[in-house]
Amino acid sequence: MNKNKNVIKLFDRMQNIDRRYIYIVVALSIIIPLLIPFNSRTYVTKPTEDIYKKIDSFAGDETKAILMSFTHDASTMPELFPMEVSVLRHCFERNIKVFTICWLPAAAPLVDYALNTAKEDFDVQSGVDYCNFGYKPYVLRLPIMLGMGDDISKAVETDSQGRKVENLEIMKNIKNYDDMNLVVDFAGSSSAITWITYARARFGANIAAGVTAVMVADNYPYLQTGQLMGIFRGLKGAAEYEKLVDVFAAYESEDYPNGRPFSKEIIKETRVPITGDTVPYKYKKARIGMNAQSIAHIMMIFFILLGNIGYFITRKKEL
Amino acid sequence: MKRQIPLIIIITLGFMFVAHSFIPHKISTDFFDWYQDWVKAVSPFAVSLGIMSLFMVHGTKIKRKISNWQYSVITLAGLVFTAFAGFMWGTQSGTPYMWLFENVQMPMSATMFALLAFYIASAAYKAFRARSAEATVLLIAAIIVMLGQVPLGAMISKWIPESSTWILNVPNLAAKRAIMIGVGLGMTATSLKILLGIERTYLGGGD
Repeated sequence: MNKNKNVIKLFDRMQNIDRRYIYIVVALSIIIPLLIPFNSRTYVTKPTEDIYKKIDSFAGDETKAILMSFTHDASTMPELFPMEVSVLRHCFERNIKVFTICWLPAAAPLVDYALNTAKEDFDVQSGVDYCNFGYKPYVLRLPIMLGMGDDISKAVETDSQGRKVENLEIMKNIKNYDDMNLVVDFAGSSSAITWITYARARFGANIAAGVTAVMVADNYPYLQTGQLMGIFRGLKGAAEYEKLVDVFAAYESEDYPNGRPFSKEIIKETRVPITGDTVPYKYKKARIGMNAQSIAHIMMIFFILLGNIGYFITRKKEL
Repeated sequence: MKRQIPLIIIITLGFMFVAHSFIPHKISTDFFDWYQDWVKAVSPFAVSLGIMSLFMVHGTKIKRKISNWQYSVITLAGLVFTAFAGFMWGTQSGTPYMWLFENVQMPMSATMFALLAFYIASAAYKAFRARSAEATVLLIAAIIVMLGQVPLGAMISKWIPESSTWILNVPNLAAKRAIMIGVGLGMTATSLKILLGIERTYLGGGD
């Protein structure tokens, strides 16, 4: 009788584990893989692949550019920053004109930080290879979005350094969304919808989104309709893009001195080791983060199963 | 007059923007350019208003020594110091402003957001119990999506990421779209009511 009681008590405990123990296990399952990286496989999904292919199609084309819109602050940086650095690295590797803009005061240093991180390894010049439009108040978002459909230099006027946008070399052959044909919005919300409503519906611009994992489900309806041509799904999306850039854009050989074209077979077969020094730390952050996320998810599933086992056995015993 | 003038402005401009969206005429484009200039001129005042409001709220707290007034001092000091650093030395890499961003704001914001992981883990453990058929479906879907999101899911079976994508693409999409259509219809109805002057509660006061 006493033994039976003890068993019920044990299963009851399995249902009511002190949250502090859960916190400790989650913390360790995140910290250890971050400190000790290991190689794991990164599977590239279609929404990320589509963005890569679109950006890569602008390689070396003086008449095309992309716009990166930063609609987030530092809180969502661990997920979004690796995406931003990877996209910038892709553009710099493949000689693609890139513009950046942000709508929150807290995002302005973030844009600088991303640009500084990515440009260290490249011989690129502000106003020639890239241009930061800087911080524009959120209330101006709508007029700027619509205005860029007619004339970018009129809608934005000055860049982050106060220079007249129309006088910059990068603006040669770039007038509106017909030329700056891809907007990638990075946010911890569904802010890409505004781009879809105004830049895509009216001017036919291609829109992609980089969002935190919790916001992915909200953006799915637009991906399915094709209004979003691609999406970075949280840290996983960032890890996938890091791998794509490593395997194709940053690839160097005699046949391909400035990167090689995308191929489904190559990406399936190639494994990029992240434990050595082959890839700089800043370009593999998301993949290291994915290791931590894998372990944390397993631990969460373990706790959920534990709680359910306890629940079922206790209920059976009580019946 | 206090209610009629704002109402006239809203109705007139509302219809003008509707016309601008559908009629690509020169008059319509000129109107939009004029609007752009106005918005650019007016918007900085919103920032000034925000700063004034912040000083007034926290200044009152400090003056009256309301509980936790010390936090208000830190808020105002942070605002003044960051703005001063930005105006004095600029915001480029290597400046005190960027140092503050990289070493204070960035880690603090990321820490706050990271706390979510712990709350979600604890809440998932407590909430995901197969108490009913619906809860069981939710539990199974959650486990599949969680595994599908990490490389380990695909290593276990190809079926896991595929099922995860199906859950996001079919049941999730159906529910999301239903909500969005409802919200869209509601927004259209409310916008029409505002344009026609039927909805006036946003003007404040009674009817």
